[in-house]
Amino acid sequence: MIDERARAIARQLTIRYIVWSSIILAASGLLGVVLRWSQSVPQARVGDNFWYAMMTAHGLGAFVGWGAFAVMGLAWWVLAGIGFPVRGFGLAMARLTWWLMVFGVLGVIITTIFMGFAASWVFLYPLPFYGSGNWGDWATGLFSFSVLLAGLAIVTWCFGILHTVMNREALQSVSGSIVKRLGLSFGWGFLMPRTFAAKKPVPYPVIPLAVIGLDMIIATLPLAGLLVWQIFQSMGIVGSANDLLAKNILWWFGHPVVYLLLFPAVAVYYWLIPRYAGRDLVAGHVIAVAWTVAVIANVFVWAHHLYLDYPSGTAQAQINTAMQPITFALVLPSALSLYSLGFTIYRSRFRWTPASTALFFGLVGWLLAGLSGIVNATIALDVAVHNTLWIVGHFHHMAMLNIGLLIFGAIYALLPELSGKALYSERMAWIHVWITFVVGMIFFGLWLVQGLDGAPRRWSVLPSNYDTLTRISLPFVFILAAAQALFFWNVMQTLRGKGGVATFDERGIPEPSKVKQESSVHNIEAAVMIVALVLAFTFAVGGYLVGREAGSDGGNTPTTTAETGGDGTAAITGDAEAGAEVFASSSCGNCHTLEAAGATGNLGPSFDEKQPSVALVIDRVTNGLNGMPAYPQLDEQQIADVAAYVQESTQK
Amino acid sequence: MLLVSHTAVIITVAYSIAVILGSAISFAIFRSTSRPLEEDRSGIWSRREATWLVIMILTLFALLLGTIFYVPYGETAGPRGQVVRVVGVQYAWAVDAPQPIVTGRPVAFLARSRDVAHGFGVYNPSGTLIFQAQVVADHEQKIVHTFTDPGTYTVHCLEFCGAGHHLMSTTFEVKAP
Repeated sequence: MIDERARAIARQLTIRYIVWSSIILAASGLLGVVLRWSQSVPQARVGDNFWYAMMTAHGLGAFVGWGAFAVMGLAWWVLAGIGFPVRGFGLAMARLTWWLMVFGVLGVIITTIFMGFAASWVFLYPLPFYGSGNWGDWATGLFSFSVLLAGLAIVTWCFGILHTVMNREALQSVSGSIVKRLGLSFGWGFLMPRTFAAKKPVPYPVIPLAVIGLDMIIATLPLAGLLVWQIFQSMGIVGSANDLLAKNILWWFGHPVVYLLLFPAVAVYYWLIPRYAGRDLVAGHVIAVAWTVAVIANVFVWAHHLYLDYPSGTAQAQINTAMQPITFALVLPSALSLYSLGFTIYRSRFRWTPASTALFFGLVGWLLAGLSGIVNATIALDVAVHNTLWIVGHFHHMAMLNIGLLIFGAIYALLPELSGKALYSERMAWIHVWITFVVGMIFFGLWLVQGLDGAPRRWSVLPSNYDTLTRISLPFVFILAAAQALFFWNVMQTLRGKGGVATFDERGIPEPSKVKQESSVHNIEAAVMIVALVLAFTFAVGGYLVGREAGSDGGNTPTTTAETGGDGTAAITGDAEAGAEVFASSSCGNCHTLEAAGATGNLGPSFDEKQPSVALVIDRVTNGLNGMPAYPQLDEQQIADVAAYVQESTQK
Repeated sequence: MLLVSHTAVIITVAYSIAVILGSAISFAIFRSTSRPLEEDRSGIWSRREATWLVIMILTLFALLLGTIFYVPYGETAGPRGQVVRVVGVQYAWAVDAPQPIVTGRPVAFLARSRDVAHGFGVYNPSGTLIFQAQVVADHEQKIVHTFTDPGTYTVHCLEFCGAGHHLMSTTFEVKAP
């Protein structure tokens, strides 16, 4: 085992990662609540671009800033616990990772919430450069730089992990060769004991960490290239990139990054489940086979995110078809891990605490997310659910009910040994774990149902036929959010030492706090916490809405310009100035030429040539004709405005 | 009453069965800890993991064989086909059919984007998503579909394309021949 100094280093690292990722969870979780609230309640609806900006921040924040960051931090303590100290180059990388990640996430929040960058977390090229006036190229450049920092954080973490798991002494490797040590950390000692000789078998948690440590370097470097390109393009140094290539590069990273959450989480399961079960992990040598498959398959499945891209004259259809079996192969490490962890618990003297229950629920969440993932991985089935809310349900099962519950479970299990302080309230932890699992199942399950019904994903306002289920889900969102308040309060009180000094049983499982407190005190505290947070939050959103209404009223100045048509009955007059905004926001210039607006579209007639009358514009925008669609999303006033603008601009 | 496509029904049934089975197994594992074993059977369970691997490979292989022939790739509308040109821009669709689209004959939708990536998702008159494909700038995406029912079909954008993404919808008519 490793010495106390090495343990102290790992302990400090893990606490720093966990505290900051939890703060990011609080911020991005609240954004998630506002997103669903805005979809459900028309009176609470936020501006469209702001909604998408929040969606961008919520996605990157919760997935990378919380999920990935937290399990990346837990990895250091797991490694220390199985005899792999982080030191030297590895330690420098681990510390650098923390700084890069914190600044990266901060940059994402600033560029989205405050600068209006809203191209979603996948920032599908070339959307970052088509902001429709909502954000400029410099916001794109700054956002790309922020994501680049987070990407570099992933790469430095991988170097730190590989340096740590290839420790010859800890591996008890017979050979000093780098290749043999890497092979040992992949579990190849189980398969080829002569080539990869060691005095004892490698601890199982090392394997998934080594696999993801190698894969995320391979996965992230091309994305870093794309981000650098975007930064240069935003500065006008380079021109446009190829769209389809950029999309492939994005998903080359975008798939493995999911496993940046899962694989370290598996390492935590491999380490903690046996502790609570009181027996070693039930695992055959075959588990090393599955992880070897994962090393290769993980970086060759990106195109399953492009199943519905098959443009003529490209090889995309062939690439996609080849990736269905490879994606299926990636099911194997999960299937074998669930088998191993299931049999480790089966008929054991399992100790059920809030921590171990959260871990167990996490395994159930893993199973559910895996099953819906197999649907997505099957091209013929994906056609029905691609980019619907089914996908949103799938990855929330994965991120919150597998990785999230694992993080909560690991924090409840490890905080006492990390801080030396007993968990403040076991009861609060029980309530938090159960509500998160049960309510999360219902809330995310409703997304699956809406998705099967064809509800589109990433719509700030859903078509009205999906309103019923959206509104039903809202109370569950609030309960889920309120339950997380218990988690934050419990962790804060624990770190303040309110639970007294930590004690452990013979398996190393923390015992409940010995500080005698009336249990009703905890209940009252919990209730007050939840009520206070819900109230504060309600008032904040209410205040925002009132302010928004007042702001828009104040901005209205009555104007009169062009008359709408010559039939004498039209009552609405158009405002050319407001019309210019409608012209830009509806992207009329994509198809039509209008010199005054700098528009050069050539799909439809040129306004400069045709000089259409106000009445004609109103008719076409209202009713459409042939290729020109109707714009039911514009109200009469806006249509009159844009007609007035077109007339004014062309008759000068 | 949900109106969903055949594929969505297949997914619903298969996923429900899998979830019920998975929940039952999870519950059984949970209950089993109340009667712990005295002897150690880890060795047998470890060896049986190879059997589980074989079962999983066979299951996934069956799923692969059962579905891979239903990919939407490489379809053609044939000589009787109708050609419809589709253009997506932020935030509107232009569906340009030279002749009225009729039921019973394959339609080849040739879709292009003039700016960013869009998703061409077509919903039937009762609001069921019947097919979709991605439309990337600078490439022509061909989607072949044969309509069975006349009526007004709705197009929604199914790839996030900016602040007006949810407004990017249109309709087209399908008539009986």
